[in-house]
Amino acid sequence: MTSGKILKTVFFVEILKGLALTFRTLFKHPVTRRYPKVKVPAKAGFRGLHALARNAEGRMKCVGCGLCGAYCPSKCIHIYTSEGDDHAKIVDRYEIDVLRCIFCGFCVEACPFGAITLSEHYEYSETSRGAFYMTREKLLENWDKYFAGPKGERYFKEFWLPQSNTYSSYEGQAMFRGRAKGKE
Amino acid sequence: MEHSEPVIEKPFETKELTISMGPQHPATHGVLRLVLDLDGENVVKCTPYVGYLHRGVEKLGENRTYLAALPLSDRLDYISSMNNNVGYVNAVEKLFGIEAPERAKYIRTMVAEMGRLSSHIIWLGTHVIDIGATTPFLLAMTERERILDLFEMLCGARLTVSYPRVGGVRNDISQEFLDELYEFILEFPHRIDDYETLVTENRIWKDRTVGVGIISAKEAVNWGLTGGMLRGSGIDYDVRKYVPYDAYDKVDFMIPVGKDPGDCYDRYKVRVEEMRQANRIIKQCVENLPAGPVMADAPKFTLPPKDLVLRDMEHLIHQFVLITKGPSVAEGEVYVGTEVPKGELGFYFVSDGTGKPYRMRVRAPSYVHASVLPRLCKGGYVADVIANIGTIDIVLGECDR
Repeated sequence: MTSGKILKTVFFVEILKGLALTFRTLFKHPVTRRYPKVKVPAKAGFRGLHALARNAEGRMKCVGCGLCGAYCPSKCIHIYTSEGDDHAKIVDRYEIDVLRCIFCGFCVEACPFGAITLSEHYEYSETSRGAFYMTREKLLENWDKYFAGPKGERYFKEFWLPQSNTYSSYEGQAMFRGRAKGKE
Repeated sequence: MEHSEPVIEKPFETKELTISMGPQHPATHGVLRLVLDLDGENVVKCTPYVGYLHRGVEKLGENRTYLAALPLSDRLDYISSMNNNVGYVNAVEKLFGIEAPERAKYIRTMVAEMGRLSSHIIWLGTHVIDIGATTPFLLAMTERERILDLFEMLCGARLTVSYPRVGGVRNDISQEFLDELYEFILEFPHRIDDYETLVTENRIWKDRTVGVGIISAKEAVNWGLTGGMLRGSGIDYDVRKYVPYDAYDKVDFMIPVGKDPGDCYDRYKVRVEEMRQANRIIKQCVENLPAGPVMADAPKFTLPPKDLVLRDMEHLIHQFVLITKGPSVAEGEVYVGTEVPKGELGFYFVSDGTGKPYRMRVRAPSYVHASVLPRLCKGGYVADVIANIGTIDIVLGECDR
């Protein structure tokens, strides 16, 4: 053992270094978020509670093709359709078992009509399991609650980020441009 | 009345004691159950029992199309789900015979290394808190939170991301994300210095890890160890270097190795250095990110772009066929191993020509590493069992599948 090592061992150098670090942290801003009081808004394209989209006339966009249910990895979407007058397809029931859902967003990707969406709402708790079996009415209600106004129109752009608008051209793609101004 | 001393007729004997550690023990990282045969404080025998988190992921995968089974891989190692996704899509891409475009490969490499950082941060925090130091855990969680925030910005989910897709990635990254990520990786090396200040030279930490859980290089190979467990014993095997996938052949990084035979402390050093290397890889990926598409042009295997589905009949038909029937794949089998934070994660598919795999097999590093636990614990103290559980860095979701 060299003399330097002995000195370091006797004077607890490495432990004091660690303690100095924790002491310095006292004067830093806290990073903790005081959650129920201070809420951090969800980022664009967040995958939260489901909603069924309405079109401009206020009717449900869903036509009951069943693609979301076919793609769903946890098989939590149940769609029941029947044949109406002049052979039109009628969506009788559209139900999502939210407790089974894994929020992968595959239903949104599959839907060819932009009818199912995942809202930014994530604080849902109920006292009964039944409340999480979302029927069509509840899902449409969610749309009115969480996608009122221009938010619903913006939704798919945010879900797919910049890709869907500029798929064929690569202009405006995110590229490295050094550090942002003011942080150098 | 005569008061007599008690007479000891036979010599004092100790018996071996069998105790059950876990599955609810907080230091067993989930639901690992260890049955320990103890002779006083010494472990005579250690038997791990796994399977408490068995969900039948492999069987579930056989009942879903290749495209729809992707979220199952999130649930294997749920603290680094990005790496599992990348492993899954690489295996399926090899089976399909398609290749992701350059930009997608860079993005995947980037996010996989972010997943590695977040997993190693959890490993460091929990390993250290199991042994008794709380501060590094709290410090490390700050950085993990920033990585999870970046994931949320990237794809809308924090933990189970499902971001990579067969043939590329789900969506292009935003400028905001790239800038913030760059800020993060410039700052992160200083945070690693902080962890090392607290832990590396600390005498209590050294007492608890040096010489604990020793395994030689030869034994490590024979037990089938991979990842940090193998490199900690001095063997420089890394799938990223030897069988490069994604953009790993285009970035410059080193494989940190320990010494032969390696102990808990060597593995700690290796993983901390791995964090620095992961940071280097992300930096290179961000700086050299090429322009171009993020999804392969393979209409038979990948879902068409969403904007075309909404307005174009042909793409709509493609969408229906791919989702309901799955892509039509040639018969055959494929195994692809990828380097996840825990070791080598392999996906093995047997295709019978339909849209669903005939057999999906996951080679989970945690399962292999759990099997070496009796070897590491034998002859040590009970307290060392906790150090050994921490050092093998297992996640029971992956171990039990």
